[in-house]
Amino acid sequence: MFGLNKIIPVEPNINFLGLRRNFLIFSILAMLISIVLLSIKGLNLGIDFKGGTLIEVSTKNTSIGELREILSSSYSDVSLQEFGNENIILIRLQNKSNQESIETVNSVKNLIQDKVVEFRRSEFVGPTISSELLFRGFQAVSFALIAILIYIWLRFEWQFGFGAVVALTHDVLFTLGLLSILNVEFSLATIAAILTIAGYSINDTVVIFDRVRENLRKYKKLELVDLFNLSVNNTLSRTIMTSLTTLLALVSLFIFGGEVIRPFALTMIIGVIIGTYSSVFIAVPTLLIFKFRPQDEDD
Amino acid sequence: MKNYPIWKSFTVVSLVLLGIIFAIPSIIYDENSENWFLKNKINLGLDLQGGSYLLLEVQLDVLYKEELDNFVDSVRLISRDQAVKIEKIDIQENEVVVFFGNKEKIKDIRDSFFQMYRGVTLQINNNKLSIKLNDEYRKIIQDSAIKQSLEIVRKRIDESGTKEPLIQRSGKKRILLQLPGVKDPERIKDLLGKTAKLTFHIVDNDNTSALQNNLAPFGKIIVPDMYDENTKYLLDKRAVVGGENLVDAKGSFDQTEGHAVSFRFDTEGAQKFGKVTTNNIGKNLAVVLDGVVITAPRISSAITGGSGIITGNFNAQEASDLAVLLRAGALPAPLEIVEERSVGAGLGADSIAAGQIAAIIGMILVCVFMILIYGTFGALANVSLIVNLFIIISLLGTIGATLTLPGIAGIVLTIGMAVDANVLIFERIKEESLKQTKVFQIVKNGFDRAMSTILDANITTLIAAVLLFAFGSGPIRGFSITLSLGVIASMFTALMLTNFLVYMYLSFANKKELKL
Repeated sequence: MFGLNKIIPVEPNINFLGLRRNFLIFSILAMLISIVLLSIKGLNLGIDFKGGTLIEVSTKNTSIGELREILSSSYSDVSLQEFGNENIILIRLQNKSNQESIETVNSVKNLIQDKVVEFRRSEFVGPTISSELLFRGFQAVSFALIAILIYIWLRFEWQFGFGAVVALTHDVLFTLGLLSILNVEFSLATIAAILTIAGYSINDTVVIFDRVRENLRKYKKLELVDLFNLSVNNTLSRTIMTSLTTLLALVSLFIFGGEVIRPFALTMIIGVIIGTYSSVFIAVPTLLIFKFRPQDEDD
Repeated sequence: MKNYPIWKSFTVVSLVLLGIIFAIPSIIYDENSENWFLKNKINLGLDLQGGSYLLLEVQLDVLYKEELDNFVDSVRLISRDQAVKIEKIDIQENEVVVFFGNKEKIKDIRDSFFQMYRGVTLQINNNKLSIKLNDEYRKIIQDSAIKQSLEIVRKRIDESGTKEPLIQRSGKKRILLQLPGVKDPERIKDLLGKTAKLTFHIVDNDNTSALQNNLAPFGKIIVPDMYDENTKYLLDKRAVVGGENLVDAKGSFDQTEGHAVSFRFDTEGAQKFGKVTTNNIGKNLAVVLDGVVITAPRISSAITGGSGIITGNFNAQEASDLAVLLRAGALPAPLEIVEERSVGAGLGADSIAAGQIAAIIGMILVCVFMILIYGTFGALANVSLIVNLFIIISLLGTIGATLTLPGIAGIVLTIGMAVDANVLIFERIKEESLKQTKVFQIVKNGFDRAMSTILDANITTLIAAVLLFAFGSGPIRGFSITLSLGVIASMFTALMLTNFLVYMYLSFANKKELKL
């Protein structure tokens, strides 16, 4: 049949490690820029983490400008945004207290009642809850990273664990930096996306590490750089194939999955690309620091 | 077929069939079916079927404050009995400190007080008695308040006609509510936002100076009117009778008064009410709801029948809501809404439709890609992928998991990631095919060598998913569930089903050589 897989040779011989300095510089720069961005511009926190009120309405015979005018006479901190198409509008408000929210939702609804076909969604997150959610999000991400590392440590030598930490930190920082540039809303779903990216990136890394370990046993005389290169090349077509199928599914989700899920899909797309890149260009070269040959000690 | 064990074929085929059969209830999705089999369908989360999620916090501080006020009243009473002058009372966050004019009887006062409230910490320092609300005491207040609140909330929600509500305690002082299909959360919020503490008090019309100075003497309270904040009443602090003695309340219509709430007392309430109205003819009786006077009619004759009506400027809905509140009883403390997420049925349906399209298109893209790359083997992997999807759906249905919008995202993501195991296997087979020519040996080695990598790679994803479940809330948990099920199902379909299909294909096609 088709068998297009022959495009990628079974044993490609690309010198990935030879380019490691360039990629290392690129990645370090990317991480530095991300850190700067995160500390200056920050993330576009959604109401999950910032607290506040969000109301999604579908409208008729009106414009976002008109609604803004109606609402801004009563609320100074109201922001409106088209959501998917021009008839669907997202209204965001900052509330100072829990009590305020109930009145806010009601009075907003009353103010624009006659312009609205349907109140599609209303969300309110109080200040205590939003800080709890943020805390739990951090907890989840850190515990996941630690758990993954412990697993890698148990299954491989600790040096691999180190390589995985470096790659994961890189992925999370780089992704957050891009989210900051692109102004993607940071919500509970984003935390889920980041955790999934961590899982995915490690998954990729593990496959290559697995091969490194296997080759370390198989080719005892081979230079480490060559051995790593061989391992990356051995697994290259799998790395590309899996990333592509995952991206195909995610792009479909991004385009067709609806407005609510779009930030999640976008975050995942960014993360999968970065995660794939880091497995090859960051995780593996990091192993070179150690100049290790674990089985040397056994011999 | 070469050496493919019968039991293995049997296991694979039956698991696949089970997966497909148990996906049927969720695919047909007959909402009202009572059939045991069709009931195994996926539950839709509130974000997909529409409904309201509310998180309420019991305002315990109000209760602690109330209890401290009770302490003050009791100390005043005791010291009056003992004829000891109180110089000053200091109410702090957790503690009441009473300064007495002399310290002779302070021990007696302490002992009398201790008779009334066990479990408080009492401390004497010179002429000072401090009464402390300690942690155990607070915990008792907290637990009984939450228990009572849960019960009252449940009654109010039931009365409001919401079907299949989920009401449960969440953490130390919160109550979680899931109300599927609720179109108007505002009304529910109104119902829950009121404490609905109803009491009847005799109005003191004689002491006009107290109202002018806005200073209530001991044993009296000043309460504003419900409709006009500037109208105030001086009332006896002690309630004649309260909402706890009501047995029934319903909205009614009175020719002269308009919409009203009629109520009926139990025997005890009727007796009290009868006695007070008999003794106080000519005075006014205030009906106080949550700290405001709804109405304060003059008692023209003794009311001994144990029933009556409350009038106010109600409309029909307000009267019937008040009746609901009175029937359900008062909350021990106010509830504050700290989180709310309501989704209309329209958005929910849109999300399902969008999710389905995304899943189908993602599926087609991945399948086409796999065939382009791996040819026949790709087609076999696609069969596994489709079965994988059926298995996820049937597992979701049979374990009664809830499918949320992020959950759908998890399924779409799984479609992309599930072929990974197949890819790992095929790549190994490809490598093996360079080393030897025996077709079945190549395949066997390919599967065997890929196995440990597949396990390692998937376990890391599972770790992330499990932690998401542990720390995530509602919709996010839905994502971690579908992702975990997808990962587990993909390991099964790749290692067993693809394996089976590859062997079948090679046997029937009688392949002598293998080029992938």
